[in-house]
Amino acid sequence: MIGLHNLSKHYDDLRAVDDVSLSIETGSVVAIVGTSGSGKSTLLRLVNRLIEPTAGHVTLNGQDTRDMPAFELRRRIGYVIQDHGLFPHWTVARNIATVPRLLGWPKDKIRARVEELLRLLSLDPATIGPRFPHQLSGGQMQRVGVARALAARPELLLMDEPFGALDPVLRGKAQADLRAIQQTLGSTILLVTHDMAEAIRLSDRVAVMRAGRVEQFGTPAEILSRPATAFVRDLVGEGERAFRFLSLIPATDLAEEGAASGQPLPRTATASEALDALIWQNAEALPLEGGGRISRAALLRAGHP
Amino acid sequence: MKRWPALVLLAAMLAFLLRPALFVPLLAPLAPEGAPVIYDRAGLLSLTLAHLALVAGAMVPATLVAVALGIFVRRPAGEAFLPLSRVVTGFGQTFPPVAVLALTVPVLGFGTWPTLLALFLYGLLPVFENTLAAFSALPPSVVEAARGTGMTPRQRLWQVELPLALPLILDGVRTATVISLSTATIGSVVAARGLGEVIIAGLTSQNLAFVAQGGVLVAVLAILLAQGFALLSARLR
Repeated sequence: MIGLHNLSKHYDDLRAVDDVSLSIETGSVVAIVGTSGSGKSTLLRLVNRLIEPTAGHVTLNGQDTRDMPAFELRRRIGYVIQDHGLFPHWTVARNIATVPRLLGWPKDKIRARVEELLRLLSLDPATIGPRFPHQLSGGQMQRVGVARALAARPELLLMDEPFGALDPVLRGKAQADLRAIQQTLGSTILLVTHDMAEAIRLSDRVAVMRAGRVEQFGTPAEILSRPATAFVRDLVGEGERAFRFLSLIPATDLAEEGAASGQPLPRTATASEALDALIWQNAEALPLEGGGRISRAALLRAGHP
Repeated sequence: MKRWPALVLLAAMLAFLLRPALFVPLLAPLAPEGAPVIYDRAGLLSLTLAHLALVAGAMVPATLVAVALGIFVRRPAGEAFLPLSRVVTGFGQTFPPVAVLALTVPVLGFGTWPTLLALFLYGLLPVFENTLAAFSALPPSVVEAARGTGMTPRQRLWQVELPLALPLILDGVRTATVISLSTATIGSVVAARGLGEVIIAGLTSQNLAFVAQGGVLVAVLAILLAQGFALLSARLR
């Protein structure tokens, strides 16, 4: 459990972060969403003390983070940034080994861990490991950045716009991969994004920030169905509310008995993907892989709280 | 970069240093009737080595001091000293080395020391300025990642910042070294051993062959060293 207690960061008259309290359950993903200048990146950097707060403090599994040297704290917290910040003079393997080396792990343990992480992120240890960052594609660099952050099994992973530099296709793939990895490892993640759809897709709880304050902190469903302020409503976007809501529901939840013709939907599909497929194929119902079907009526019923 | 011109130059220089007699026909037209064509009061090879040692003796400490100063003034503790450091290194470069010699000989005596000091002061600025530029040019995301992964300031410096800044710092060392190779010739005015001795002997005895061989040797050394540095910094990039 990570606790942010009344955190504030003031720069002269500017209140970049203003009395923010949040708690992040172990093993869950919290997304901080806001427009630029809302203080969301500052808030993230207060957690690993890249910035020291004006007031308030952070607890990491019950321990006050002010009680340890900042560099030790940072070795316990993974940090992923938009431009990935890979060390250009080190190979991929050496980059991933950064924190384990700082912690003085034995060499063979580091080597095994680097290999394990490269595999986890579907990078081939033999070909990608010895390469230098400039020899990688954008998507590969992003994954190496995540691998480096995960290397020493951090208690918390901080991600600042981790997919911001990727094109939409790669971004969708990277988001799905992150969710899968998070579920496999049970990582605790605090993620910053300006993209509400990304926040809804990836997180268990969303904190909406504006002018240094948290306007609403709730589950994606709560944010979508009961936006606390006009700002949150604007950010959710009224035009796509129903689709966002459907994207939270697994299609299998809406399955009913019976058969239907047409291209079967994968069992991992969300209700929003199911509706999209129905509209596109102009079908009343579509079969679900492995049995059952999903009807248009069920989807329309599910599309609002 | 083609390497053979530098290799040819190196071979020619070595041939001249080891078998100067071979070059007599080339230089004879420049020497007065009956005067020696090749400088003979000391071996050219030993003068060249002394010249290089003089430059190295000034450049190694100048580099260490300038890099250390450049790093220091970028730390929070040293920030206040940045303007002062700029003035001091700038002064070191603009104050004519001849004047440094004139001012220091009474204190340090004739010979190597005043020359070393003049070259040292002269070499500070290019290395210092390049160190500052190299550290400012570090990619912000890389510096941020170095902090974010939990490196201590010392680890950041040795493992990330210095290795990435090194090529640009080396460019500064190259500039300073090339300048100090030619500047070192004036050391002979105060009796420091070096190739300046050959040139000055040529001037006093109106023997153009001496001036030419001293001057060309210094120029060739400068070209070769510059090439060597360029090669090294290209390898580090």
